Amino acid sequence: MISFELSEQQKQIKEMTHWFAENEIRPIALEADKLGKVPDEWLQQVNRMGIQLNTSSFSGGKGSSTGKKKREREGNRMGVLATEEMAWGDPAITLSLPGAGLGGPPIESSGTPEQKERFLSIFTTDKPRWGAYALTEPEAGSDASGVRTTARKVDGGYILNGQKIFITNGGRASWVVVFATVDSKLGRAGQRAFVVEKGTPGFSCTKLVKKMGLRANETAELLLEDCFVPTEYLLGGEEFYDSSDSKPSGFQVAMKTFDSTRPIVASMAIGIARAAYEYTLDMVKKEYPKQGKYFYLASEILAEAEEDIQAARLLTWEAAWMADMGIANAKEAAMCKAYAGQMALDVCAKSLELLGPTGLDGHLVEKLFRDVKVFDIFEGTNEIQHLVIARRQYAPFGVRV
Amino acid sequence: MISFQATDEELAFVEVAKDFAKDRIRVLARTSENHLKVKEDLSEEAMELSFLSLELPEAWDGLELPLISQVQILKALSYGDLGIVQGFPSAGDAASLFRCLSEHTELQTIKATYLANTDHPSALVDLTDTEKPFGNTITVRNNNGDYILNGTTEPVRLAQFAETIVVFARDNEDVAVVLLLNDQEWLVEDGDYRIGLLASGLGKLKFNHVSTGKILAKGKEAERLIEKVQTRNYILQAAKQNGLMEAALDYATQYTAERKAFGQEIAKFQGVSFKIAKMAMETRIVNHLIWNAAIKVDEGSFEAFSLALRALHRAHKGVRFVTDAAVQLLGGHGFIQEFPVEKWMRDAQAQVALYGSEREFLARRGAALLEEQGQVSVE
Ligand SMILES: Cc1cc2nc3c(=O)[nH]c(=O)nc-3n(C[C@H](O)[C@H](O)[C@H](O)COP(=O)(O)OP(=O)(O)OC[C@H]3O[C@@H](n4cnc5c(N)ncnc54)[C@H](O)[C@@H]3O)c2cc1C
Repeated sequence: MISFELSEQQKQIKEMTHWFAENEIRPIALEADKLGKVPDEWLQQVNRMGIQLNTSSFSGGKGSSTGKKKREREGNRMGVLATEEMAWGDPAITLSLPGAGLGGPPIESSGTPEQKERFLSIFTTDKPRWGAYALTEPEAGSDASGVRTTARKVDGGYILNGQKIFITNGGRASWVVVFATVDSKLGRAGQRAFVVEKGTPGFSCTKLVKKMGLRANETAELLLEDCFVPTEYLLGGEEFYDSSDSKPSGFQVAMKTFDSTRPIVASMAIGIARAAYEYTLDMVKKEYPKQGKYFYLASEILAEAEEDIQAARLLTWEAAWMADMGIANAKEAAMCKAYAGQMALDVCAKSLELLGPTGLDGHLVEKLFRDVKVFDIFEGTNEIQHLVIARRQYAPFGVRV
Repeated sequence: MISFQATDEELAFVEVAKDFAKDRIRVLARTSENHLKVKEDLSEEAMELSFLSLELPEAWDGLELPLISQVQILKALSYGDLGIVQGFPSAGDAASLFRCLSEHTELQTIKATYLANTDHPSALVDLTDTEKPFGNTITVRNNNGDYILNGTTEPVRLAQFAETIVVFARDNEDVAVVLLLNDQEWLVEDGDYRIGLLASGLGKLKFNHVSTGKILAKGKEAERLIEKVQTRNYILQAAKQNGLMEAALDYATQYTAERKAFGQEIAKFQGVSFKIAKMAMETRIVNHLIWNAAIKVDEGSFEAFSLALRALHRAHKGVRFVTDAAVQLLGGHGFIQEFPVEKWMRDAQAQVALYGSEREFLARRGAALLEEQGQVSVE
């Protein structure tokens, strides 16, 4: 039956994460932006509470499956609900929460049982730890097949050489999933995914970049210089790549994760848009006249913003629902990401329009506007999402666009 | 639990509707448009398949389906041709009123026609927005309990065929009333309609001192009833528009996948494929906002009216965008009548003109949001 009612568990996670966002995240949002980092004590405290960012499904959502009846999987829906609330609190802080982050999905989808155990079990409450995902390079962004970082097979492992840029939490991460090529002539088929641990000789963080927004969240440049990585750290193991013949397997590892991470990124954009909208709605209620020209102007702008937010949310819920049901969702994941990214910037801009010059001075919306732009860029730019959607749309007609 | 899964019954019904839309409605779209009327055998088939009585109460031999089911079926039917769906001789926009007041004594003769299985087209005239430009040439005067109507309405769907007219109005004392006209005399002004929905019986109704004592509701009760019927109609209309959107999207996708220019399928140009992607997103968004509103109506939520405004606003915006884009993607071929898209763009524009101004929907929805407490409503 079609329903947009949250299940009990979904309601709980939404309420819990909202409480946390409102009481723990939002109060430090502007300060963290100014500092350019999330305060260490805060991270430690939050980590002790067991709060983490897990982009494949929210970590609080597993539940114990007691009883004979198998419960419907709802991890992806829980994930998008929780993430919207967290990002509503603050997106930069949300992205800085301890956990496997964007590095989680490739390990979960392609790692061997030993790799899952080794890399995913380190996120304990004693100390905050992070994972990261390093695909982008100076010459390979949207076109991920252009990865130039090399992996040369040697006895017992591989030697990696290359540079990665724009890596979220890349400097502080305990391990990073690094995409490299064993033979650039093979194109996508030559790609492999490795897990590289912090402190591995030849692996370093060379720079933290300064950004328009999301300033409290770390974005790193990483360097791999003759960096030896043992075979056990090749994601999925060597057999995984042998068995998939000439298929572009490492590339697929990179792409497959998007179907679960894009709805999460979309829900962050939605959280930001909602934060801007609610803040502005509140200001309009207090400061605007109750009739006349400005009242109608505000009514229309706010109604359109609210409509757009819900439109993005429903697209995102659909993509997450499909993932939970095991239905292929690449098109829907791209739709929600494409729409939410652009919508969220638009809502932030509309909110600033309603606040006027006043909004420029120390108001949350100004920060949200700076934060939100990148949601239309990372995890695949808006244009790339359009390409994914169009490809799926044309597939029945045998035309590859 | 959040779910996008239609029920098995809904899926089965939608499949029948989609087949009927493709095999019967689509092929008769042009001829119906040229005849300014839906072909009779097609209407009969639609009636036999119960497509004309989805909203009517069971006591009237209707299906009385929940709105969430109806929107899926109407979308599928309109995939065939919106002009035909709007022109079926049916209870039209009055169906929701019949559903809300099925036991009203004044409506029992109409009920009898439905029980006897004859079609009984009805039109609904909504005169409640007294500030609306062009709409205020008509007066509804309370004359000791009877109401006297004078003047001419704006164009109304099914006006040419209607045997019954339901009027929503505010009388000379600004009291809301819902009136029924069926054995009175009114005129239908022959107009010069060219833009679209030509098979839908568009016409202006002319009342020359028409008097009726058939009062279906008055005062607060009428206000509540009007809002309820408007809510349902906004959503049902939005669903039809969504069907048209999907038709235009599918047609343009196939066309651009096959058409070649500069040595390749034009789909391979991003100016083309990205437009298709946008059309796909917009079509899905409209679908979801309609479902959102329909569910709230079925639950009897106080939010329903406002969500219906939202759904129809988006459906208006969406149907204009998608049908225009379809014409654009077919280039010159889009503009000529050998292809259906030019008709779809015309029908879309006629439809949005008939069913309310986008900006006005937004302003009303916004005013509601500014009155509400708290956050964006999720559920
Ligand atoms: C704050 C931040 C955090 C990030 N975090 C990570 C991370 O954790 N891990 C990681 O691996 N990467 C990360 N990225 C990188 C991000 O994913 C890339 O920046 C993004 O994929 C775009 O790549 P690019 O910058 O090289 O732009 P380019 O690929 O050079 O794109 C430039 C422009 O060309 C357009 N374009 C490219 N190809 C096409 C095409 N085929 N059709 C139409 N238009 C096209 C793009 O849409 C864009 O508008 C992050 C980036 C930022 C800014």
